[in-house]
Amino acid sequence: MPFSTQPSASGEQYVLTASLDNARHLSSLLRAVHFQDHATCFATANGIRVTVEDAKCIQANAFIQAEIFQEFSVQEESVTFRINLSVLLDCLTIFGTSSLPGTSTALRMCYRGYGYPLMLFLEEGGVVTVCKINTQEPDELLDFDFCSTKVVNKIILQSEGLREAFAELDMTSEVLQITMSPDKPYFRLSTFGNAGSAHLDYPRDSDLMEAFHCNQTQTNRYKISLLKPSTKALALSCKVSIRTDAQGFLSLQYMIRNEDGQICFVEYYCCPDEDITEAEL
Amino acid sequence: MKCVIAGAHLRGVVKTYNLTFQECDPLQAVFAKHMCPNILKVHSRLLADIMIHFPTSQEEVTLSVTPMKVCFKSYTEEDTDFSKTMLTEIQLNPDEFDYFQVGVDSEVTFCLKELRGLLAFSEATSAPVSIHFDVSGKPIAFSIEDMVLEASFILATLSDIEKETASQQPPCFSQRQESSKTCMGKSEKTSLDKDSNTAAVASKKPQWNGNALITESAKPTSPLAEREIKSIPRVTKKDRTGTEGTATTAAEDHATPEGEAAASRYQEFHSLFFGAVSCKEQAASSHISHSLATASDTEEDFGNVQSSQVL
Repeated sequence: MPFSTQPSASGEQYVLTASLDNARHLSSLLRAVHFQDHATCFATANGIRVTVEDAKCIQANAFIQAEIFQEFSVQEESVTFRINLSVLLDCLTIFGTSSLPGTSTALRMCYRGYGYPLMLFLEEGGVVTVCKINTQEPDELLDFDFCSTKVVNKIILQSEGLREAFAELDMTSEVLQITMSPDKPYFRLSTFGNAGSAHLDYPRDSDLMEAFHCNQTQTNRYKISLLKPSTKALALSCKVSIRTDAQGFLSLQYMIRNEDGQICFVEYYCCPDEDITEAEL
Repeated sequence: MKCVIAGAHLRGVVKTYNLTFQECDPLQAVFAKHMCPNILKVHSRLLADIMIHFPTSQEEVTLSVTPMKVCFKSYTEEDTDFSKTMLTEIQLNPDEFDYFQVGVDSEVTFCLKELRGLLAFSEATSAPVSIHFDVSGKPIAFSIEDMVLEASFILATLSDIEKETASQQPPCFSQRQESSKTCMGKSEKTSLDKDSNTAAVASKKPQWNGNALITESAKPTSPLAEREIKSIPRVTKKDRTGTEGTATTAAEDHATPEGEAAASRYQEFHSLFFGAVSCKEQAASSHISHSLATASDTEEDFGNVQSSQVL
């Protein structure tokens, strides 16, 4: 592969260099958070975090840790830039999205630093594509301040139990109401649409339930349009953790296993819908 | 009104639906299927495969039968510019049908859009579709019978008399007891006799006789055509408001200049349509109730309407 012999032009150092044998390991994760055109990339020695936000209410993060890459080097403490995620995904999938067995797109990513574009070298079957994507000033990101001490209720479910539910969500409902309780109904997803309401109850002893730690009965509503994109992450994942804090902020963490069996994480944070303080069960 | 459906899901997950619904007055259609000379029975798949060839914009379709063949073709009006229209015609052999009976050669034209709804519904069941019909002007019935349900879709057909843009016979509606809920989906029909000097359209409401809806046929003012129009307000997702709530008929004694029939030759069909009832239809249905209520107040002449009990 020509990349390893790629000379750095006139001794310039890249602050971020990453190589990946299979670009799909990156592109599939980025697709799981692709609900806005722009994303903020944050790279440290531990890996890359890509953040997408909307309406100051929802934030999605995709974590690709350094171990996933064949080569990963960050020369500064941290490297941050804003980039057009749609363009980045188009480039990563420039050889097509269908995966033929045995073929994969190799990727090398280089970034010289503030003001420079992100360079992508993609190769498949001897064909090389070079992409240069302009970077922008990073945005101020929301801090949901979700640490384990603030978590009131926590459930870990196998994703297959939720996949159908999320795919079939009644989109005529404005909100998705989530009830978590140490008593019945334990874990309930509700929608209130044009034809009526629908409730999906998960019993605590279901074998879909990997962990159930609910201390308090909480019912919160979230704008369904904000949460709908999380269905993509759910589709890729094998497990999902659902947590709420005292103010009703929601944290969804998806454990995703890639083609090589490596684990990556995607998380969604969402603010509760403030119009409703008392929710109906 | 709430209807609760609860189902046990896989792994102990329970899904509960609280659906709102409304009661509607059941209607009795007056239509004798067993008196129809022509009966065809065909698998819904075949019917769907036939209809797929017609463009989605095609509103009406003509079914023409003789003992030797069956033909589905696009319906064209006389003023159709043939150089700009695409016409589709599909010919079938009698042996393509599970049951084939043609007592009288006939050519009936009905609304394809309504039929598509039926076909979508019938795909869910694998039961064959029976088609009962007579000559043009008489209703055509599409029925599906399954172990758990019976559905009957009765559509009006164009009455093609002397190539006039004619009226249609009142479709009588039936509601089978054991069947699924049926909602009346009827569209209005107005027709215009182009030869007549005065457009003969007047507002008229269907007459109620207990549960049966009997529509009058208008005595034609012009000696040429027999014109019958009846319309019943439509219950569909798309709100039909205003004048469409009232029935319109051809003039009998009162020939009034065309009002809402400004669409001139626009002909619509009555149909009984299996549809979902949603809260949004509240406006439409209450509108219907209103006009149905007013209908009984009017006293009009009875025309020669065929009415026999539905099977």
